[in-house]
Parts: sequence; C-alpha cells; structure tokens
Amino acid sequence: MEKTLQVLTELEHDGLLLRYAIGGAMGATFYVEPVLTFDLDVFVILPQAAGLLLTLAPIYDALRARGYTEEGECVNIEGVPVQFLPAHNALLEEALAEARETSYGATATRVLRAEHLAAIAVQTGRDKDRERVRLLLEQAPLDGEYLRAVLARHNLEARWKQWTT
Amino acid sequence: MEAVDNLRPEIARLIAAKQERRHKLAALPFPEKVRIVVQLQRMVAPVLRARGRPVRVWHLTGD
Repeated sequence: MEKTLQVLTELEHDGLLLRYAIGGAMGATFYVEPVLTFDLDVFVILPQAAGLLLTLAPIYDALRARGYTEEGECVNIEGVPVQFLPAHNALLEEALAEARETSYGATATRVLRAEHLAAIAVQTGRDKDRERVRLLLEQAPLDGEYLRAVLARHNLEARWKQWTT
Repeated sequence: MEAVDNLRPEIARLIAAKQERRHKLAALPFPEKVRIVVQLQRMVAPVLRARGRPVRVWHLTGD
C-alpha cells in the first residue's frame, strides 16, 4: 500500500487535489483491530475548477495517463482499489483539515482522526456505520471532549445518544 | 443448572482472552494491520464471489 500512498502524495504535489486523508474502514483500522474492506476510501479536497464545478475527472485523467485503470467506482492504484470521496460538507472539510499526519513505511500520509471517523459514521447512518462507532468506542483512543465538540458543531448529538445509550 | 454454573468461569475466561486479543490486534502497527486485512480478503473473497459479488484481493506492491 505504500506505493499507493506515494501516488496519492504525488497527486497532491501536482495540485490535482489540495489535500487527502484515509477514511472509511481502513481509516478505522488505523485505530482499531483490522476491519475487512475491499477498497481504500480516500477523502479529498478538490481544487475549485472554473464554473465552481467540483469534479474528480482531472484526477482520473492523471491516473489513467500513469497506466492505472478504473474498476467500478474505484481506481486500481498499485494493486489497491482507491475510492476518491470529495469533501462535500462541513464535517468532511473539517475532518480533512484536522487529519492526523502519520507515515506508512517511509511515506508520509494522513488518516482522519478517530473522533471524525466516529462523527462521519453517525452522519452516514448505515448499520455498518453503527458497528464502526461501537468498535471505535471500544478500542480507539477517543478524546471525549473533542468528540463532543465535533458532534455538537455538526448537529449529530441526538443520533450519537441514540446509538450509544 | 450446576453444569452451567461450572461453565461460567471458563466462559468468562474465554471472553476475556478474546477481548485481550482484539486489543492486541488494535495496537499493531498500521502496515501489519493492512497485511491482516489482505489475509481476511483472501479468506472471504471466495465466499463473496460464490454469492455473485465480484471482489478483488489487494495485490500489495513494495510493502
């Protein structure tokens, strides 16, 4: 996966995306026991194109030019299907801005904070998100005060209470 | 009822051991966890494919 992350960093350096961070099941796996997944969810902040249209097309074009192929909603980058998810709301923008800097082998990368992964799961609201919240609560080193502030800022307190009590 | 009561400490010990193992897994370095995820993919992929869900096991390069 290190080569995959190197390619993502290159996309960022080339200005095709302004910032990226790992989220989804693999983001959760950073903090908890390994969680089965078949794709790597990568949240991205895209440069604003002309006409205020946010599009992943330049990223797909650049990856195609490097020989990487699309597989459904993912692009196979060095053997890992990567799904690019543009930050489309305030919670995701905040999560990307405050993502945790880390390294994978010799490659610098970013992973969403555990508190944001939990808040995003609450916002998304599927059964598997509920299970993710349970796992994060049980195993991740959550900062309770920080999490409460995130949930309050994004009006997620009611569902959080419903899911966790 | 007596047999159930005798089982309880053993079951409690097994549950505690399982919980401890999960916390040990959570504490592994990220690249090691990624390798475990790929092992899980290998185990589950045939079942999912048999159910008609096309999945691809990651082919990690350079890890």
